[in-house]
Amino acid sequence: MDSPTDPADGATRPHGWHALDDDPRWYERAVFYELVPRGFYDANGDGVGDIRGIVEKLDYLAWLGVDCLWLLPFYPSPLRDGGYDVADYWSVAPDCGTVEDVRLLVTEAHRRGIRIIADLVINHTSDQHPWFVESRSSRVNPKADWYVWGDDDQRWSDIRVIFCDAEPSNWTFDPVRQQYYWHRFFHHQPDLNYENPEVRDAILAVVRFWLDVGLDGFRLDAAAYLYQRDGSSGENLPETHQFLQQMRKEIDRDYPNRMLLAEVNQWPADVVDYFGDGDECHMCFHFPLMPRMFMAVRREQRFPITEILAQTPPIPDGCQWGIFLRNHDELTLEMVTDEERDYMYAEYARDPRMRRNLGIRRRLAPLVDNDRGVAELLHALLLSLPGSPVLYYGDELLMGDNIYLGDRDGVRTPMQWTPDRNGGFSRADFAQLALPPLMDPVYGYQAVNVEAGTRDPSSFLHWLQRMLAVRRQHPIFATGGVEVLPADNPSVLAYVRTGTGETGERAVLCVSNLSRFAQAAELSLARWEGAVPVELIGRAQFPAVGPDAYVVTLGPHGFYWLELEVVG
Amino acid sequence: MAPEPAELARLAASYLERQVWFQSAIDATPAAPIELVSARTLRPSRPGLARLILGRGEQRFQVLVGWRPPPELSKVLRGRESALLGPVGDGQSSALAYDAVADDDLLLELLVHVTGGKESAARVRRVSSLVSHASLVYDERLFMKCYRVLESGARPEVEVVLRLDKVGFNALLAPVAHWRDDGFDLALVREFLPSALEGRLLALTSLRDLLAHAAGGEDGRARERDAPRDDGATVPDADAECASAGGDLASEMRRLGATTARLHLALATAFGDRPASASSFAEAHSALDEAGGNVAPELAARLGTIDPAAAGRTIRLHGDYHLRRVMRSEVGWLVAGFSDDPLYAAVDADGSLPGRRGSPVEDLADMCFSIRQIAREALSQRPGAEAADATRLASAWERRNQAAFLEGYVTTHGVRRLLPREPSATELLLAAFEIARELRYEATSAEA
Repeated sequence: MDSPTDPADGATRPHGWHALDDDPRWYERAVFYELVPRGFYDANGDGVGDIRGIVEKLDYLAWLGVDCLWLLPFYPSPLRDGGYDVADYWSVAPDCGTVEDVRLLVTEAHRRGIRIIADLVINHTSDQHPWFVESRSSRVNPKADWYVWGDDDQRWSDIRVIFCDAEPSNWTFDPVRQQYYWHRFFHHQPDLNYENPEVRDAILAVVRFWLDVGLDGFRLDAAAYLYQRDGSSGENLPETHQFLQQMRKEIDRDYPNRMLLAEVNQWPADVVDYFGDGDECHMCFHFPLMPRMFMAVRREQRFPITEILAQTPPIPDGCQWGIFLRNHDELTLEMVTDEERDYMYAEYARDPRMRRNLGIRRRLAPLVDNDRGVAELLHALLLSLPGSPVLYYGDELLMGDNIYLGDRDGVRTPMQWTPDRNGGFSRADFAQLALPPLMDPVYGYQAVNVEAGTRDPSSFLHWLQRMLAVRRQHPIFATGGVEVLPADNPSVLAYVRTGTGETGERAVLCVSNLSRFAQAAELSLARWEGAVPVELIGRAQFPAVGPDAYVVTLGPHGFYWLELEVVG
Repeated sequence: MAPEPAELARLAASYLERQVWFQSAIDATPAAPIELVSARTLRPSRPGLARLILGRGEQRFQVLVGWRPPPELSKVLRGRESALLGPVGDGQSSALAYDAVADDDLLLELLVHVTGGKESAARVRRVSSLVSHASLVYDERLFMKCYRVLESGARPEVEVVLRLDKVGFNALLAPVAHWRDDGFDLALVREFLPSALEGRLLALTSLRDLLAHAAGGEDGRARERDAPRDDGATVPDADAECASAGGDLASEMRRLGATTARLHLALATAFGDRPASASSFAEAHSALDEAGGNVAPELAARLGTIDPAAAGRTIRLHGDYHLRRVMRSEVGWLVAGFSDDPLYAAVDADGSLPGRRGSPVEDLADMCFSIRQIAREALSQRPGAEAADATRLASAWERRNQAAFLEGYVTTHGVRRLLPREPSATELLLAAFEIARELRYEATSAEA
């Protein structure tokens, strides 16, 4: 076992503040870790990462301090869209393992205090799915109405085409059935027909099946597109919400402590609808925050972030945002304005190969020119802004990407475990690997890998592990309120996380320098006059807050987390 | 029972004479006695609060007077002892009167009174007190300007804010309550966005980023344009360098241009617009005359060819429009500087702007000049060794952001009707007014 041995705790969870027992709101305080099962660790040496491989690496993940794994699709699939084209909802792709392996993973993860959620693709299936094979075979068969069929391709012509680079229309003609079928994504991913109660029942049965296996919840893929209506954008329709509420109701009734995380790539004011009145999804991703964090660092000023915080409405009790720096998809630009999208392109994607649809395929480290200071600052923001952070596998090593791989595979290269063959990812022959590991001089596995990261106490990996531990000690980061503080320097972002602890009001001041130059700022902390700020990582005391403006000085891309303790 | 107004007025009069703002407000007329004009008791019980209007000649002043028993007051006035007026009788044991602006409790009470009970707060702080008004921030969300030096009739700055708000212009700090009594504007309460920052600071941040880039690796990054290129291409032009710098401000300046257009349209709606005439451009003409043949003889000649009938409209101007008068906030750009603005008060000396009318191009020229000034300011902070390259980039930055500002302005729906019919005439006027600003600036600098 080549998992890190650095902390003596090993397999034992170093923290116990949210034991895996009866905690229906665990997701509010969790740090998520998104991983691609095929790219994480290959336990059986066939060149493809698998569920057993994840089991073998659970000690590493427990050491790192993550609370929940989010697994990308592991279902049987022709893999024309990274597994988001499901060909069978009831089993695991043979190269990934078996349903039994998933059971084992859940058991072993739970033993270490880690939960497991998985992608559930409910909007569409693969065109290889038996449901679609049957549906397209004729206009009269038991599954004839399980998909959305039409005699022409004109209906709902106002509905935008999301993968506009690849698909000319949301309709594709099927030569067998001699009709058009509807698809919001690729043409090989026909949309399920949610008007049909049999489809709704079938999907709910899939949900129950995997919850029975033991999953702690689902990340609902493309949740906004389930229904279509004439004269609408085909997004966020009331019927879609009704179905999600029905799903939530069944889960609440039969499966305590499970959760739903919605992928709705929309503006926050629209996304909040997916929380319902606390009776729909437990979590939703906050998409626009992510590009804004990168933009703020590039512009060296805080408004891209504070603006989006100001536009983020409050959410119902028991709900939480999911926030992230990078994920398996592109740097999502759908939700920034045209002008800002141009800006992001100009800044981050000078090479057209890096562009795809409306996003940018890069991992975190190459996006920030491998600048450790920027990577630390961005993570400090991620861990202290409101929401549950979602880390992307490999970013804890500052892994790179491979822009020469097609589709979105560039950011799905194998996890780099050791400097050995295939980066320790697989014992298979190199030629057998589904995707090659990175071997370039900067990000290649010879230099960037878990073994090196754990052996080097000043590595980014150790830094992040410590930061996760600090965050865990302060639930205020997870559930506290947030208040942006005025600072007289645009390059300084200051906000206070506020909450009530056992000893009364608590507050943590987070102040960050978005500039690559040292900065000073005056903060208005009058409300905490008399408090003695204590830096959370080193526990050093700062000068007490007086009646006047509080002056902070920060090194390039520096940040502080200061607990405001009122003395006496 | 409240003390007698006359008694309070007597104490307040001698207090008034000790105030800097009183001295600077009185004119050169022979000394006249200070008299009580009107008084209103806002809170009779202890601590008590009364509002006095005192007169000296034609001028009027507001003093808020509080009273408390001496032991209590010594705590309240700690560090602000100069606010003490003197002993008064309120029918109970002895009490001391003082300037109520020194007393948090009474200021909180004042907010409730001024807003007719709509608003209350838990905390108050004073922004500045040596000026002709008291600037008070309540709970970091409301701002009250309580006037000490009063103006008869409608106070122009109050009028501008209220009218712009009424016509739906939302890029300003919205008025919440207006206190008018006995024919005087006594206080204005507005929302407060403490996180808003002067446009000047954003501009300097942008320039810092760009000029550090120019300094060649000062920030530890290789300059892309210096890297060997295998395609044999020449180095990118300065505008492209500005565009590719992380701190490029052009998109912000475009938004500022759009906000400015909305301001002008709102001013036109609120105060009316009229056809421009030759006299609308008198300042530009005289500036060019003053500059003589050296600066822009061709410009002067062409200026004379603008047909007044096609020269757009005149509106009530902002009149002092530059990067210190606009604030970037979480809700976009805000326009400040109608003299009565909390942000304005915080960044500059007090001053009452006349409600001047003119071509909107004047405000645009002000801002363009301000963009140039800030580029100069940033350049002046850099060591001489970098001067040549930095100057080249600062000029490009100036042109790029002026262009973005103007583009944001003219592409705003409906604003073209305020401008001269021919775009070339607008450009001409802009250039002429910019020269006028430059000359005015040089004259002011020379005086200083």
